[in-house]
Amino acid sequence: MLLRWKGVGLIVTIALMIVGISVMAIASSKLTLKVWYPDEAGIKPKYIAQAAEAFEKDFPNVNLEVKRFRMPPGDFKTKLLLALASNEGPDVIHFSGYSNIAEFADAGYIMPLDKYVSNWADWSQYPQSVKDGVTYEGHVYAIPYGLDMRWLYYNKNIFRSVGLPVPWQPQSWNDIINAAIVIKERAPDKIPYVLYAGVAGSGGTMDQGFLPLFYGAGGKFYDSKTHKWIIDSPAYRKALEYYRQVFLTYKLVPQEVMTLPKPWTTMRRKIAENGLGILYEGGWVYGGFVQNLGLKRTQETVGYAMMPSESGKPFFTIGGSGTVWYINTQSKHPGLAWEFIKRFNTKEIVAKINLEEAHPVARMDSANLPEFKSQKYLVDSTEALKYAKYPPLQPELSKIAYRIKLLTGAVASGRKTIEEAMRDYINDVKADVGANNVEILK
Amino acid sequence: MKRSYYLFLGIMPAAILILLFFVVPAIWGVYVSFTNMALVGKAARHLQFIGFQNYLRLFRDSAFLTSLINSIWYVIGSAILGQFLLGLGLALLLEYTDRKNIKGGNVVYGVVVLAWLTPALVSGFEWGAMYNYYYGTLNAILRMVGLQRVNWLGNFPMVAVVVANICQGTAFSVMIFNSALKTISKELYEAARIDGASYWKSIRYITLPLIKKIAVIDLISITMSTFSGFLLIMTITNGGPGMATTTLSLYAYQTAFRNFRIGFGSSISVVLLVIDLIFGLVYLKILKKDLT
Repeated sequence: MLLRWKGVGLIVTIALMIVGISVMAIASSKLTLKVWYPDEAGIKPKYIAQAAEAFEKDFPNVNLEVKRFRMPPGDFKTKLLLALASNEGPDVIHFSGYSNIAEFADAGYIMPLDKYVSNWADWSQYPQSVKDGVTYEGHVYAIPYGLDMRWLYYNKNIFRSVGLPVPWQPQSWNDIINAAIVIKERAPDKIPYVLYAGVAGSGGTMDQGFLPLFYGAGGKFYDSKTHKWIIDSPAYRKALEYYRQVFLTYKLVPQEVMTLPKPWTTMRRKIAENGLGILYEGGWVYGGFVQNLGLKRTQETVGYAMMPSESGKPFFTIGGSGTVWYINTQSKHPGLAWEFIKRFNTKEIVAKINLEEAHPVARMDSANLPEFKSQKYLVDSTEALKYAKYPPLQPELSKIAYRIKLLTGAVASGRKTIEEAMRDYINDVKADVGANNVEILK
Repeated sequence: MKRSYYLFLGIMPAAILILLFFVVPAIWGVYVSFTNMALVGKAARHLQFIGFQNYLRLFRDSAFLTSLINSIWYVIGSAILGQFLLGLGLALLLEYTDRKNIKGGNVVYGVVVLAWLTPALVSGFEWGAMYNYYYGTLNAILRMVGLQRVNWLGNFPMVAVVVANICQGTAFSVMIFNSALKTISKELYEAARIDGASYWKSIRYITLPLIKKIAVIDLISITMSTFSGFLLIMTITNGGPGMATTTLSLYAYQTAFRNFRIGFGSSISVVLLVIDLIFGLVYLKILKKDLT
């Protein structure tokens, strides 16, 4: 009898072991989908979690690994590229910055999404200009949700205290310089003006520093007919002359802008804390002001204006496809990666996250939601995008941007004259992109 | 035979680590410098051997030439003139206080070593806070005594980073020289004193000749670490304003890990390595000449 029970016990034990091993095998055979995103401000996690929840509900057998990187986009880019180059990257990549699409696509890191968007009804909600911003060589490579634009911010309290008008819309470059001179003379303990320059300014030197001046002087970077980079033109010299004036002639911008490790962090804080008069910065920075000061105090403290051209209109802003999603070419589950992106880029999530991050939305239906429409600032930002100028979507753009940082830094620090700096710039860009790929406009 | 076997066994772990983490990456770096390796763009997909192209481009690159000149000034100012001479002076002073039983030497030694123990990143932020035009400690002191603020980082960027590096790195030289001075027999000084030699003469004819070998080792170490260090500069000036404080190592970092041109960045590092070797050989040559 005892032997019989022992036999039964043995059989049950073996059966349980087999079941256990099977369960473990099934569990371990679960697909894994990796999602990486950078976030310092802490706004994104709850929206990523919403998308993840919806995804896990529809795909319970997929193990979703979401990883947040608390670092600036530049550091995240380094980390991401090293991972991608060693085939260790995630399936789904969150990224900000228009200039990356071409160089990532050429490197073979991100896959064309044409077959996915062509079967996605929501794609019709994205305006053509937004689609163009993520299309490289005829293929859609990214799905954007928050667009980029830039404002000329000014501190209303400083402006009032020195007798400058509020609201303010400068009509020319001279208006900006004159306002900064007034601040310098009447409020000497304040920083009159900040314009990013040099390597320290990082992406801000290009997008919030040189580009608005260069385009404001009628400049053109890339000739899409000849497929050549324009490396010298009167617009370069006008933009650099402006740098020279505000940094050296009138000493309106502190040299610290070129020496601080993260000048944008300091300067954004200063304008909100009544320490800085004028700052050209990203539209999303307003979201940071609202987070720290609250909407009412932000409206009382910080004003925003469009960037004027050299001698007047048209007023314009610098645009960009902003924050986007990519799918890694190496992904074994691109279909699932797409399903995750779809669940994030819904009308509601796109509207809500951009309400907090203060970006114009990429989807038209999100912009029509009442809570989005009730935010004057976001309505203004979306409207400003109609007058946006964009940098060329070319893989060499980051090389050009680096040389622009050196160019502006050399002039703004007074280390080189405009002529000397331009001579170095021309020679260096020729070496970087090839002498046959550049042209000079007299 | 048996002794050499044990010696071989003894150095094996260190040799393997040096091989894995220094020699192999260095050889790899030299190889990469002859390629177009990049992390973005078409080059990321199509690795090509391009011979000396990176090196030929280096010497036409305005940023490289500027950073090369900056590096040389930085090394001469902060390593050779600063850390070496100040380190030697402080070590002699400490040795003197020790010999004369003057109190306080250990406190000075402790403070100097504390500066060395502070990580470069922390030290960089501290110096950045000292030099800040608006809120910096130095300008606060100037204003307290009724003087105008000085734009330290804007007008004297290289001097600013040199001073910071001297303060951070001098302790290494102090420790090296302090140890060397302890090996000199006190009888020698005593004999010199009896023969009528002054303090300075005993330094000139006893101390300096006896610590010459150690001095060369110190020079090689601080030259190499100053050439290759960039964290301090990155946190104080970020290489600016303009490129006023961008050294070769910072430029190599920016090229490889900010612009993702690994091949080009590696060629800058190889040039840095060659310059280090030249400095090392020159120091050894001087030492050899003096010994013969």
